[in-house]
Amino acid sequence: MLSTKRRALMAPLAILAAASFALTSCSSGDSGSGDAGSAKDTVSYALPVGTGPNWLLPIASPDTMATHNSAIKSTLFVPLFEFNGTSGTMEWDKKASAAKSYEFSDDKKTISITLNDLNWADGTPLSSRDVEFWYNLVRFNGEATGGYSAGMIPDNITKFETVDEKTFKLTFDKVYNEDFLLANQLTLVRPMPQHAWDKTSADGEIGDLDRDKAGSKQVLDYLFKEAGDLASYATNPLWKVVNGPYQVGTWSDSGEVTLEANDKYTGEDKPSIKTVKFLPYTSTDAEMNTVRAGEVDYGYITASQMENKAQFTDNGYEVKPWDGWSITYMPYNFKSDSMGKVFSQLYVRQALQHAVDQPSLSKVVWHDAATPDYGPIPQTPESDYLSQAQKDNPYPYDLDAASKLFADHGWTKNGDVLECTNPGTGADQCGEGIEQGKKMEIVFTTQNGSQETDNMMATIQSAMAQVGVKVTIDAKPLDNVLAEAQTCKQGTKCDWQFVFFGTAGSWYFPAYPTGERVFAKDTKWNAGQYDNPEAEKLVTSMTTSTDPQIAQKYSELLAKDLPVMWMPNPVYQVSVIKNGLDVGHQDPGASFYPQRWSWK
Amino acid sequence: MNRTLPTPRLPEAGATASAPAQAPRSNAPWRRGARRFLRNKLAVAGLSVLVLLVLFCFVGPLVYQTDQTHTDLGSALLKPGEQGHPLGTDDVGYDILGRLMVGGQVSIMVGLAAGVLATVVGTLWGATAGYVGGWVDSVMMRIVDAGIAIPATFLLLILSAMVKPTVPLLILVIGLVSWLVPARLVRAESISLKQRDYVVALRAMGGGHGRAVLKHIVPNSVGTIVVNATFQVADAILLVAYISFLGMGVQKPSTDWGAMLTSGITYTYAGAWWLILPAGLCIVLIVCAFNAIGDGLRDFFDVKGQGE
Repeated sequence: MLSTKRRALMAPLAILAAASFALTSCSSGDSGSGDAGSAKDTVSYALPVGTGPNWLLPIASPDTMATHNSAIKSTLFVPLFEFNGTSGTMEWDKKASAAKSYEFSDDKKTISITLNDLNWADGTPLSSRDVEFWYNLVRFNGEATGGYSAGMIPDNITKFETVDEKTFKLTFDKVYNEDFLLANQLTLVRPMPQHAWDKTSADGEIGDLDRDKAGSKQVLDYLFKEAGDLASYATNPLWKVVNGPYQVGTWSDSGEVTLEANDKYTGEDKPSIKTVKFLPYTSTDAEMNTVRAGEVDYGYITASQMENKAQFTDNGYEVKPWDGWSITYMPYNFKSDSMGKVFSQLYVRQALQHAVDQPSLSKVVWHDAATPDYGPIPQTPESDYLSQAQKDNPYPYDLDAASKLFADHGWTKNGDVLECTNPGTGADQCGEGIEQGKKMEIVFTTQNGSQETDNMMATIQSAMAQVGVKVTIDAKPLDNVLAEAQTCKQGTKCDWQFVFFGTAGSWYFPAYPTGERVFAKDTKWNAGQYDNPEAEKLVTSMTTSTDPQIAQKYSELLAKDLPVMWMPNPVYQVSVIKNGLDVGHQDPGASFYPQRWSWK
Repeated sequence: MNRTLPTPRLPEAGATASAPAQAPRSNAPWRRGARRFLRNKLAVAGLSVLVLLVLFCFVGPLVYQTDQTHTDLGSALLKPGEQGHPLGTDDVGYDILGRLMVGGQVSIMVGLAAGVLATVVGTLWGATAGYVGGWVDSVMMRIVDAGIAIPATFLLLILSAMVKPTVPLLILVIGLVSWLVPARLVRAESISLKQRDYVVALRAMGGGHGRAVLKHIVPNSVGTIVVNATFQVADAILLVAYISFLGMGVQKPSTDWGAMLTSGITYTYAGAWWLILPAGLCIVLIVCAFNAIGDGLRDFFDVKGQGE
């Protein structure tokens, strides 16, 4: 009993001691500095939690689509087209691309592409055959490759024509929007060294095996098998044949990767940092502790740590939010058994959107590590795709306007909650399918584990309560939220009302921000089953129309029609960068280019 | 029927015939216990702190009224004393002093109810196991052993992740993971008590097992039970704080002291001490208070001190 009691007494005292220690620590401005940055030809980069790189082959398998595989692969194998925002706007990055120039035919269905003067590490020049090699492997093995989308590249290429060693032509099945084709389709093409990889075993002979279906399958099987052995990445001769600014130094099963500068690189994007270390973490706290210890050169902190900025600047870091080319939203479930009919009313969506104070949420709750987002086009950085209507926010924070919309459509407060007292389909009535006495009681199913998300939801709940909308917050792990979001699509029970999975942004786009995978009627991620024929037409046109205004029309319509509740868009990450390390403009496309980092 | 007849008390030596015959008040067992309790200064201090905290949490909101439902981003992270907030505000603008009161209500209610639930379940389980004995005892106590082998915090976190945490659920879950220790203690008492003459006599007269357990074993274990109950309450309050600290507690706008602590810890390095110190101090005070009271109650029920 005595020992139990002692333990019980000790526990609260331990809490107090911990709190005191924490407070004491905060008063200590001078903390230790690590030595990672002292070697000026090395940079250590902290990978986001749970994103350990696990694939090197330019063609991914369906289960190896980890976020940073692509960025690391691009430093080894130069993609045909690279679009990013390192210049401040999303555009073609010629230095990071294998293509030097392109030209469309008069009928806009054929594109002629000329390659840069890049060499593979074994001295062989990059050629049109290397692009054809990629094309053949992917077209004959579509379903087996990661990121394959039926009807899209390579399915939409009807003809591959080699003009010469450096030039080739691609003919497409129809005319596509030029931006869509370049930024969203041709960016997926990654030339691969046919002269070294077109074989079916380590000591097999190199041939044109990729040019028929059976041979191409064997080649891809072999490459996939080799790529599955992470431990051999640094030693396997296959992976020595790179054409990018780096080559693999080490690659561990846990996802720790070291890249070494490729001495044989012949492109214009030469690295100044000789060694780049990518460090995986299992939790944000663990990563932040490493940053506090000064043991990482380029890391990140949570948004709420922006309040503690001085702690990191005093420790020799620059705190630099990294904007994402993304949007954040909370889908309405238009098919919800209980609230689908209510959400189908535009005035309801308008009223609810009026209760979301995005500027204040971005500033206070997200500590300036988020930007207001009023529509389907990313608002940071600004682009020609963004309509004025979206930029101007059609539904600013205005609780009076929200209350008026409900009052004008037959809703009356009964106690604290609005209730439909004038059912019907007239202009001043609740709307189709909403019966007398229907209450405005909604449930937000949100991802847990984020103080910013908790606070944002509590704030929206509070604002909506003032209008008469009772919000219940049901916080769950992210995987559960994502699974629930898919229930309607899978034909199982369908009664969630809102789902939020946007603590790190809901949707990241390629450079041309189309909505065919988010807002098209039948796409998987139109979780709430938004269905507006006019919007559907624009979504489709985004990929095929040559109208330069098409993106702005789409932006305006969806900003006004509210297929989802638009929410503040958090930055990709709040970076902390060692003083003296210049990383340039952080790419909103969430990629990184270590070849452009340098110590000042 | 054999009855125990009341024995007339004899007047104490020296008492006059006119004075009514009575046992001296100062010698009543509960009075002697109370004297021992009061001599334990830590226990008295604990009781005082508990009373003050209960008044603070349950009567305080009537005196110091704040809006603990609606956020106010315009007043976020105000320092103590700013804009009429004696203890400042949190990161969404809730007044910290008012929040301590409503958070304390949840912590105390959950702690007390879960502690009582754990004690009741544990007492009945342990008393039954000890009294019945044999294979029933073996099976029941192996269940207890197995339960103790599973870390309560781990179990609570899994459950909290599976279902939406509410106050009744927290009470139920914490109560149901905390009954194991009282079950063991009461079982030990029960094994000893069942061999006492009055229990044997009851059984010889045909008294039921239920009566033996509920009317004799449990009442005679009350010292152990009550003392342990105070520790159970303290442990339950800490458990609530733990799981809330890990983000699995009640959802906003509700809160408890543990949740306040976890919200505030983020801003520690920014020097926002008012977000963690008051809540941390309340947890420390109430847990220490219950432990001190438990210590005093042990003195209260201590038979060795009855001859004083």
